[in-house]
Amino acid sequence: MKSQAYHLLFLNDSWWMKTIRGTFYFAGGCMIIGLLWTIISRNSYDTSMETHLIPSISTTFEKCKIVFDQPFRTSDNEFDSGIFWVIWSSIKRVSIGFLYAMLVGIPIGILMGANKLAGNILNPVVQILRPVSPLVWLILAMYVIRAVPESNMFMIFITCIWPTIINTSFGVASIPEDYKNVSKAFDFSVWKYVTKVVLPFATPHIITGMRLSIGIAWMVIVAGEMLSGANGIGFFAWNSYNSQEIDSIMISIFVIGLVGIMLDKLFDFLHKSFAYESK
Amino acid sequence: METHITSEIMVDQLNAELKPSSIVVNDVTVTFDTAKGDYTAIKNISLEVKKGEIVSIIGHSGCGKSTLMATISGMVNPTSGTVLANGNLVKGPGPDRGIVFQNYSLLPWLSVFDNVFQAVDSVMKDISKDHKKDIVMKNLEMVNLLPHKDKKPGQLSGGMKQRVAIARAFSINPSILLLDEPFGALDALTKGTMHVELLKLWNLDNRNKTIVMVTHDIDEAVFLSDKVIVMNNGPAATIKEIVNIPIARPRNKKDITHDPEYINTKEKLTGLLFEKLSIHD
Repeated sequence: MKSQAYHLLFLNDSWWMKTIRGTFYFAGGCMIIGLLWTIISRNSYDTSMETHLIPSISTTFEKCKIVFDQPFRTSDNEFDSGIFWVIWSSIKRVSIGFLYAMLVGIPIGILMGANKLAGNILNPVVQILRPVSPLVWLILAMYVIRAVPESNMFMIFITCIWPTIINTSFGVASIPEDYKNVSKAFDFSVWKYVTKVVLPFATPHIITGMRLSIGIAWMVIVAGEMLSGANGIGFFAWNSYNSQEIDSIMISIFVIGLVGIMLDKLFDFLHKSFAYESK
Repeated sequence: METHITSEIMVDQLNAELKPSSIVVNDVTVTFDTAKGDYTAIKNISLEVKKGEIVSIIGHSGCGKSTLMATISGMVNPTSGTVLANGNLVKGPGPDRGIVFQNYSLLPWLSVFDNVFQAVDSVMKDISKDHKKDIVMKNLEMVNLLPHKDKKPGQLSGGMKQRVAIARAFSINPSILLLDEPFGALDALTKGTMHVELLKLWNLDNRNKTIVMVTHDIDEAVFLSDKVIVMNNGPAATIKEIVNIPIARPRNKKDITHDPEYINTKEKLTGLLFEKLSIHD
């Protein structure tokens, strides 16, 4: 028999109980990570270097205070500005590349989904280019554009465009016959068909594409900044390695994770607001 | 049986003979190109529907009822033969034929009002926006959905969705109304109400609209129709018989069940549909 406390804790569906449960689960997860981190840290002592290779939680926390001190400070040397601006420059780069990818990718996706010929011609191109690591495009862009931030934006553009095209064209191609028949039976113009049938139906798919895009883009920008030396959170991590500040690497892991989950939640929220009840 | 026909009905039938034809199906065959080879759904079908008539098509599942309907709506082009609607060759769907789809086919992201409005907006290009809105409101009022006009289809019951679909089809004022198993998903009570609603709408328009309906409900077919087209089983379905329904209008749901014509016609149709069935099976 399950006790009354069990029922109250695990089967009560009120908002409060859900929040409390969620907090407990989160705390549990944090404890596991903390425990693993501590175990690994304690066992990472390197005799030749006479230090722990993995810094402990407390040293990392001490470093955090320094890194997050004056997060908004500006400096003539952009590499010396506050941590907020470091993160911001990565987010900005990702956002701009992402936006251009949407502007180009969504119309191409709609075209491929709506028009069989266009789909058949463009699909092999997309399939070949999709598995290519965006970092290859970064070095090509650096050679052609000769500007580091812009090359990173171009790399993000390439990163985001494939999931966008693929999901958009899938969404448009899977419009049910029923809805197409409605637009035929009631003599919808092409404009009305696109705005009242194609886009509303495909929007959840398009947002899924966006969500995938931004997720991959956020991973890729870190590598891009390391490779190209563009100021940002990726460069922050790389720079920490070069100056042997391993605690800063640990911090960058958490910062990248937190920003990543915020971006993901944003698109999850968008997806929910554009979802409609079918039928 | 002739003795049951009152003079009123004879006048009705005489009038019907004089009316112009609304739909002419001429030797239509539809063959689909499927993965397993050609499939002939309907074969050599010819029929004529007069203006203002209500005609039901009945038959067992998969007998090609919906295919025949689709050739009239223009969703399916006949492999051979022709379909005329209001004297024009049917080449595709058109706003002269309002369709109520089997599964309602409302756009789930649009409100009830917008579902109807978008249809009016595309078909009636030359009138003002206010006039279009008036038409939508009038039609929603007709099906008693004004209080629900801002809801999305997902928030409506099956009967309400059906009424939206009917309001949408009526709002573009088509001379022909095509209903593909419109009441199939409804419970008996709602169904009965919808039948009366449909006849009311038809009466409001001076019985000028031609209505063709696909159904597998014999009661429904007899209560609503002037003629019932009984189809043979597919593949390559043909028309088995066209049965006239000699019951005077207006018809009343309650009284009609005792009408000997109603009982006879129902028996006849049941016999046509289920002749292979016997008690020994």
